[in-house]
Amino acid sequence: MRTLALRGSKRRGPPGLEEAELRGFGEDYRRAQDATKTSPRSITTAVAASSSYRSHLQWLAPPATVTFRGHHLQQMLPPPPSAGTAIGRRRRARLCLLALSSALQPPVEKKEQSGPLLSLPVRHGFVVALAFLFVLPPPIFLSSSPLPLAACDAGPLRQRQDLDQGWSHMAANDEPLYPIAILIDELKNEDIQLRLNSIRRLSIIARALGEERTRKELIPFLSENNDDDDEVLLAMAEELGVFIPYVGGVEHAHVLLPPLETLCTVEETCVREKAVESLCRIGAQMKESDLAEWFIPLAKRLAAGEWFTARVSSCGLFHVVYPSATDPLKAELRSIFAQLCQDDTPMVRRAAASNLGKFAATLEQSHLKSDIMSMFEDLTQDDQDSVRLLAVEGCAALGKLLESQDCIAHILPVIVNFSQDKSWRVRYMVANQLYELCEAVGPEATRADLVPAYVRLLRDNEAEVRIAAAGKVTKFCRILNPQLAIQHILPCVKELSTDSSQHVRAALASVIMGMAPTLGKDATIEQLLPIFLSLLKDEFPDVRLNIISKLDQVNQVIGIDLLSQSLLPAIVALAEDRHWRVRLAIIEYIPLLASQLGIRFFDDKLGALCMQWLEDKVFSIREAAANNLKRLAEEFGPEWAMQHIIPEVLEKINSPHYLYRMTILRAISLLAPVVGADITSEKLLPIVIASSKDRVPNIKFNVAKVLHNLVSILDQSLVDKTIRPCLVELTEDPDVDVRYFANQALEACDQVMMSS
Amino acid sequence: MWKQFLSKLPRKSSKSDSSPAAACLNGNPIRWTRSGNVVPSRSSTVKRTASAIFPSSVVTSIEPLLLFKDVPHTEKKNLFISKLNLCCVVFDFSDPDKNTAEKDMKRQTLLDLIEYVDAGSSRFTESMISASCKMFASNLFRAFPPNIRSSFVGGEAEEEKPMFEPAWSHLQLVYDLLLKFIESSSLDAKIGKKYVDHSFILRLLHLFDSEDPRERECLKAILHRIYGKFMVHRPFIREVVSNIFCQFVFETERHNGIAELLEVFGSIISGFALPLKEEHKLFLWKVIIPLHKPKTIGIYLQQLTYCVAQFVEKEPKLATSVINGLLRYWPVTNSQKEVMFLSELEEILEITNEVEIQECMLPLFRRIAYCINSFHFQVAERALFMWNNDHLISLVSHNRQAIMPLILPALERNIHSHWNQAVLNLTRNVKKLLHEMDEELFITCENNFEQDEMEQKIAEEKRRMTWHRLESSAAFQPLAGNTAVLIRPPLVSPVVAAARS
Repeated sequence: MRTLALRGSKRRGPPGLEEAELRGFGEDYRRAQDATKTSPRSITTAVAASSSYRSHLQWLAPPATVTFRGHHLQQMLPPPPSAGTAIGRRRRARLCLLALSSALQPPVEKKEQSGPLLSLPVRHGFVVALAFLFVLPPPIFLSSSPLPLAACDAGPLRQRQDLDQGWSHMAANDEPLYPIAILIDELKNEDIQLRLNSIRRLSIIARALGEERTRKELIPFLSENNDDDDEVLLAMAEELGVFIPYVGGVEHAHVLLPPLETLCTVEETCVREKAVESLCRIGAQMKESDLAEWFIPLAKRLAAGEWFTARVSSCGLFHVVYPSATDPLKAELRSIFAQLCQDDTPMVRRAAASNLGKFAATLEQSHLKSDIMSMFEDLTQDDQDSVRLLAVEGCAALGKLLESQDCIAHILPVIVNFSQDKSWRVRYMVANQLYELCEAVGPEATRADLVPAYVRLLRDNEAEVRIAAAGKVTKFCRILNPQLAIQHILPCVKELSTDSSQHVRAALASVIMGMAPTLGKDATIEQLLPIFLSLLKDEFPDVRLNIISKLDQVNQVIGIDLLSQSLLPAIVALAEDRHWRVRLAIIEYIPLLASQLGIRFFDDKLGALCMQWLEDKVFSIREAAANNLKRLAEEFGPEWAMQHIIPEVLEKINSPHYLYRMTILRAISLLAPVVGADITSEKLLPIVIASSKDRVPNIKFNVAKVLHNLVSILDQSLVDKTIRPCLVELTEDPDVDVRYFANQALEACDQVMMSS
Repeated sequence: MWKQFLSKLPRKSSKSDSSPAAACLNGNPIRWTRSGNVVPSRSSTVKRTASAIFPSSVVTSIEPLLLFKDVPHTEKKNLFISKLNLCCVVFDFSDPDKNTAEKDMKRQTLLDLIEYVDAGSSRFTESMISASCKMFASNLFRAFPPNIRSSFVGGEAEEEKPMFEPAWSHLQLVYDLLLKFIESSSLDAKIGKKYVDHSFILRLLHLFDSEDPRERECLKAILHRIYGKFMVHRPFIREVVSNIFCQFVFETERHNGIAELLEVFGSIISGFALPLKEEHKLFLWKVIIPLHKPKTIGIYLQQLTYCVAQFVEKEPKLATSVINGLLRYWPVTNSQKEVMFLSELEEILEITNEVEIQECMLPLFRRIAYCINSFHFQVAERALFMWNNDHLISLVSHNRQAIMPLILPALERNIHSHWNQAVLNLTRNVKKLLHEMDEELFITCENNFEQDEMEQKIAEEKRRMTWHRLESSAAFQPLAGNTAVLIRPPLVSPVVAAARS
């Protein structure tokens, strides 16, 4: 190998070395690629080619010795000492670092020089490396630097061995690093996971290569080598989006465009989308002149792509390139986009429709009216509802860009038409977007055109559309004046509250509370309240829950008194609902209700319910009930808890079922911190201690857990007097779990004692 | 009688207008204007529409409820048109008790029409064709209701039961009529193509998304006949269908009629002339092969395999790219799909000759080896069952030098560690088979097996080390733009010393 290497280097001669290497690499790589394409015995040929590439590299860059300031480093390095002292090790490590830093930064062009061999940047790098060695504390070395450094300060034998290994590596340096070769090798692997991993670590390869070689070798390699699994391509598209630092900063960002351009044309949607996203991200950072030079041609090429995938991708790029284009180019871009809007393939039209808003935002006002509006009209008249659907999405965005009168003239008729579209999907989209358009067209047009359209949607034949419309009723009313809302919208709301679809009613219930502030107190009591009440009695629990969850909003308008009477049956019904998730949801709202309703009402009506949940059949409910008690105690204070909660809770400890007793223990451990030391020691602790005699081990180890919690709350003397003996007793329990938790609690006791 | 009926019409349509369903069906002005030649530009009552297109003299001159046998021969064409116009009224079937008399009347009229077309008396005139297409359009082209199951239950639809179209009793007759109409020798394709136009076909193809399997079945037959009869529309039909496929594969992954469309395409493909046009090959690569990607492939796999097989039978050279395509979309986590892929692969291999297999042999058998090692016993079993195929065995034995080193390690691994008894037995059988095939080679491969395992471990360790070193050296490379001084740090190991020595 060595002789071959020398012959090789003589033949080629030193000056053109880097170039030759590049060329050589290219040739071999191409050969390997061709081989894979054509020959049946492709793999062997490819492997042969790649290994010849390897050896080729080896003679180009033989790594045997490293020079520094004219001396052969190898000669400077002391032989590996058998028993290295700390100093010796450190010195060796330093020298290794030297070797390393110069290995990383070869003085390629300066080789004719007789003086200092390292070029300035290299020397600088070396100085920096040295600085690292001496300034940084060892732990950082351990994490961030190669092996020899890691070992330089620590003494243990194992590390010394590491050091010696590292030593032999560095000294012999028989296997130099060729990042691209590594990448090629890895990407050839059969295992997709390996290929994926290596792509995910592209940035490491790029950093190891340095910016220039990343630009000249790595990126071209990636542009050609994208016939891989979609998974790998997706990763590549993602990595390239953040690759600007590795190619030398923004001024070189354009080299990243070719590989992403090819990724924009692949079949898989995720890959294309990610590539477009990355392109946009790069485009946003590129200088304007660079955009014009590199990015605009790319967008044009994609837009003229033969297969639809390229054209779809191009739609997402126009908004990036348009602002930097010259005037004639701008006109061209506009006409290209218009063509995309009329493309034969619905996929392209859909992409154009969904990007129209973004593109329009970059356009000048004058073109907005002419060009964009005609594109928009094309899309709105499309045969396929999937295209029209996306055009609707753009409506609101466009409406905001246009002046009010233009919006009324162009967008309004379209959206009114759409609200009667044959496809329910389109109408659904309109129902979702309509309120946004109201702002754009102003109050007059809203009253005349949009309100009737909205009313139609609220009465739509398709439940899906009504759900969307009902969900927006509050937002819509907020834009209207109360008069209009009462006159037009409220009757529909009334109808919806008795809609045949439970989902419509649920959607209405979740927003209807928000209407109260808009309508004012009188209208709310007169018109809205009956609707609330009927929804509160709805047979579908979600509807009731949605109303109750927004209770604070109504409370502000009409006061709780009016509601409380009808509220209570609803809450009671929900509290006993068949579905435990419903019960859980209502428990979560109890503290909110309690704060809204006040102590008195709560005591009368809800207190019993809260106790009842402690004995639910479902664990989650029992747990939530215990938590709920804690939150109530926080809300109403320890006094109240002492009076209303604790006696009842404690009574339940006598329950015959151990699961219920366990719930009580849980409640106690939650309540204790809230009610304070006095009540705890007086009321709660005795109960816990008594439970330690329970016949069920589960109760006993839960006692240990509770006591563990109580230790920090209670007085030291009490701990010693009561808790510790109890725990000691539990440590002798026959059950292993009980002993374990008792010991844990005892440890906690000890710790508290030590700290105090 | 006619007057009675006409007097019913406006009332009825005003009734249905007031119900939102009819409002929706009567539809959207935009849609209707686009298809201008057949339907009115404004949604209005049927009576007005009819008179807008046909001079009132034509329409009213004949009583639509008469039977064909009761009118003189010359009047039959007018009767046909007026019956068609009558059938343009669409009824709301969500309430079965509404308009029962009228619904029955329409049913009877449709039956009359079918009988007339079936009898195939004389050529259809242009106005007859136009009226027919208008009737088909107003009855068939509708927006499908939302799929309740998918939208509310979060897609967790167990055993999906097909949804049945409530208006089927009418739709079926309309479809029957359309089929007879297209098939009929009375329909001149030259005139017909003006009315059975791109827009008509496009909307017809969109109906394939119907949830009702009966409807899709009808559509299949109709599409087949249209493709056969209207040569001019063939490229357009292919294009639209491939758009539907692409949308299904790359955008929505939801479509009810892929199987039916593929079935029609199976016969279209078998009719392709040889040599295959580039366009058709492109269709195979860009549309048919990607159809292997969606996870619902099970629904249409049979038809898909048929299409692919048609291509390969037409042009054996395509086998390579088909197999490469399959390998590209090979499922990673979905074992069920993997079993399906193996079945399809076997079917393709069955019709692939030895020359074509050469190019994709290595990746193919590497994949089969992976499948043999699958922990899912069905996958492993399916992969091992392939070795019962004589054609496959002959392929293997001709290329045993390349294949055996790939397969044997997989078999060894199974014998060492597979959990499933049936898989173990099958593995032993296959191993025996290979042993009989070429004993010498078998023993060489077996000897290499352990060595390879070792080498693999070493390679793994080496890879780990390489990356570790790479990371370390990368950490020493300054990043761009951080410091001006550190701008050029190319990583080439120093060559100077060697070059000098």
